[in-house]
Amino acid sequence: MRWLEAPLVPLAGATALGIATSAWIATPAWSLLCAGALALGLTSLALALGATRLATAGLLLLAVLLGVVRAISDPLPADHIARVAFGPRVSVEGRLAEEPVRWSADRTRLLIDLDGLRDGLDLRTVSGRIQVTLYGETPPVGEGQRVALDLKLSPPRAFKNPGAFDYPAFLRREGILLVGSGRADSLVALTADDPPWPVWVKRWAVSTTAGHLPATSAALLGGLLLGEKTGLPPEASEAFRRAGVYHILAVSGFNVALLASSVFFVLSTLGVPRRVTAVVAGAALVGFALVVGGQASVLRATVMGLLLLGALLLDRESQLMNALALAVLLLLAWRPGDLGEPGFQLSFAATAGIIHLAPPLTAWLIGKRWPGWLATPMAVSLGAQAAVTPVMLVHFNQLSLIGIVANLVVVPMAAVGTTLGMLALLTAAVSAWAADVLFQALWPLLLALRAAVWVAARVPGAMVHLPAPSWAAIAAWCVALALLPYLGSRRWIQATVMVSLALVLGLSIWPWVAPDNGRLRVTFLDVGQGDAILVELPEGQRLLVDGGPGGNQRLDVGERVLAPFLWNRPTQRLDVVALTHPDSDHSGGLRAVLTRFGVREFWENGRWITGTEETLRAVERSGACRRTLVAGQRLWLGSALLTVLNPDGSRPLDDPPPEGQNEESLVLRLDWRGFSLLLTGDLGGPGEERLLADHAPVRALALKVGHHGSRYSSTGAFLDAVEPAVAIISVGARNSFGHPTPEVLGRLEAAGARIYRTDRDGAVILETDGITLSITRWASGTVERLDLDPERGA
Amino acid sequence: MGYPRPQLALLLLLAAIALTGLGVREWRAGFPVAAERLDRFDREDPPPPIPPVPRPRALPRWSPARVEAAAPPRPAPRERAREAKPAAPAPADPRPLDLNHASVEQIARLPGVGPSLARRIVDERERVGRFDSPDRLRGILGLGPKKLAALREHVTVGE
Repeated sequence: MRWLEAPLVPLAGATALGIATSAWIATPAWSLLCAGALALGLTSLALALGATRLATAGLLLLAVLLGVVRAISDPLPADHIARVAFGPRVSVEGRLAEEPVRWSADRTRLLIDLDGLRDGLDLRTVSGRIQVTLYGETPPVGEGQRVALDLKLSPPRAFKNPGAFDYPAFLRREGILLVGSGRADSLVALTADDPPWPVWVKRWAVSTTAGHLPATSAALLGGLLLGEKTGLPPEASEAFRRAGVYHILAVSGFNVALLASSVFFVLSTLGVPRRVTAVVAGAALVGFALVVGGQASVLRATVMGLLLLGALLLDRESQLMNALALAVLLLLAWRPGDLGEPGFQLSFAATAGIIHLAPPLTAWLIGKRWPGWLATPMAVSLGAQAAVTPVMLVHFNQLSLIGIVANLVVVPMAAVGTTLGMLALLTAAVSAWAADVLFQALWPLLLALRAAVWVAARVPGAMVHLPAPSWAAIAAWCVALALLPYLGSRRWIQATVMVSLALVLGLSIWPWVAPDNGRLRVTFLDVGQGDAILVELPEGQRLLVDGGPGGNQRLDVGERVLAPFLWNRPTQRLDVVALTHPDSDHSGGLRAVLTRFGVREFWENGRWITGTEETLRAVERSGACRRTLVAGQRLWLGSALLTVLNPDGSRPLDDPPPEGQNEESLVLRLDWRGFSLLLTGDLGGPGEERLLADHAPVRALALKVGHHGSRYSSTGAFLDAVEPAVAIISVGARNSFGHPTPEVLGRLEAAGARIYRTDRDGAVILETDGITLSITRWASGTVERLDLDPERGA
Repeated sequence: MGYPRPQLALLLLLAAIALTGLGVREWRAGFPVAAERLDRFDREDPPPPIPPVPRPRALPRWSPARVEAAAPPRPAPRERAREAKPAAPAPADPRPLDLNHASVEQIARLPGVGPSLARRIVDERERVGRFDSPDRLRGILGLGPKKLAALREHVTVGE
């Protein structure tokens, strides 16, 4: 059997399968253990009877069961912070589990292993890890330091939207069940900053680089050498992603191989025996892994590197795929939750792709008369790209087309840069002058690397965004890739590969060509405190009203929620983006939308305020046709009629609005067959009064409640005129404004409206064919149906 | 006689790297601004700022009665802009503060300066001995060009 070449691969696969399925297996551990014992018994019996195939199957089943058992989390200890009752504000003590991440001058993220909770004057012992965001200037603290601080603690909350990233699940895998926020001036260091040596080395390396190179180049070198990416400006990271070379900024097998081969090169020139060299190289790898930290890619590369060195030491032949499988087993045994991490999946998929596909691809390319120096890198690039494509699509909806070519240029430059960088850092420990000369020699290379990435990222179509593939498509793709190297040997293999590829193609094209169902769909996305509403017409037109909160200094809803949601639709362009008014909880996320999607028209109220510069520039650059709307305008979008009800144009745009920006909100009314919807932005009482005085056509079936349910909106008189059957409140959970207010909820109930809230219901989806209206609460998955036909109504 | 080929190649490579490094070093020292600009070639400049719209004067919380009342005559926009400009919190003492002799508490009372920034300013003063110009505050964490410009009229440097 071929399995003898890499006997650990099926075992690793089975264990991973067990961990992946554990979420759906609700049986208690003891029953799993019984099943395991049974499987063990049957396997032994099969082995005794000489049925090796059956015994193999039994063994794999055993591995699956072990994976499931490993992934079931242990019950929390009784003093875990998640099991301890506490008030809304707590005072805690604990040790910093990692270096603080400074997002901006006044926003810092800390990871704290708690040990004490202050309860009045007593200090209770607690345990558990929390993630904390501090606002304000955080005093200099570092890993390992004990601190005390005052916090608001709460369970993490996800935005519940179709196809959204499950943030709480991600934190749970990291062992974080509660997140906190607080003011930086409440932080008190209880011990001196005395970091363990790896942290000290890392700090020294970062500050040395920054001392010799200009900021952006220093940040790039930090990424190349140490995987330290926080210093890199956002536009540079974006360029690396578009060019498909972001992986060089993470520490991976690339760095480990360079480090090991540098050690080998130096020591063998000095005539040191091979075995001693292998031991020294191994020590260097372990030290390096300690310094750069415990990301999956580092651990994977270190484990594999050590295995290969061990093979060298024992004069055994090494089998790469087997080493990779052992690395999977070790990592999953240690941290089973990593299986779901993009970093883990990307690292292992890329390595497996290279090991499995690069040799046959190289042979094939050389057969096509490619020169050897080009064929090998090309095959490596193709193999890695083919293997990581499903992972990238599932997590990021990204496929970098330029990546295959860009890697050929960028990877060799990065290799030289990394080697020179390591040399420069080592020199800096001895002589600052000599190190400076090396750093200056490195600078043009770093600039050239950035220039290559910049050019690659600018190529039109460098990156395409596709919907996440279905499980069937991923499975078919994996089958095709696994069988690809044996294509020439058997007929049935050729047939299977062809069928799988056809399946992948068909499943990928289907969402684009699927016929529409003749329905109008309105999605009120859960974007926290803010608005973002997508209207989709059966003819294919799409209108996005507002973009939720966003911007540089905080979570950008446009990037995190709107873009993935639209890509998974799948959507590449929006016919209209409308901004009701420029407040940041409506305009912040639009910058990301306008830069990532083709937008035909941009509707606005013509007023921009300080703080929306980035959004305004994105509008100007998007090439969208801009319209400033005033009441009375009627616009057709496909078969839907949109009527503008506000602003009425009586207040010049250059003057500050006398009643505040909210009263200048665009108010849009949408009519389609028997369905009508009123979108009021943040309109408050004065604006509502004006609409009523003007006899604007406000009566509507569905109402987006004004200003997130603020008590100064949705007055009784206005609701009497609208008579909404359905009211949707777009509001963030635990927002600091107290929205929606009980007054408004009471008024809506009195008006007889069914109330839907994005903070509790997640995304709210209205779907109608003009006769019935179905309303989906995404968080609970419940669907309600309303009859729109007045003849049948009762 | 002479070096063997591989060693020669290695030494030549090292020499080339050293020469490049020295050359770049010279150039960076000679044209620091150009070097800084070159390093920012892929960075975007921030967009032009939108001037702040003066807020309308504080109105009482909205109530239906207010809408019926006649709107007060609005002053011309330019006057409004001036009157709505947030007045800088005037320091208690109109004389500029001598940064070389002021205490942390005194510095902390300056507009835009809190206790932690004041502490860092004093730390910096202890490090450099004395400030010979308010510009020397540049580079202290948390003191950007804007804040520095706002501070300049409130501070001085004494002997």
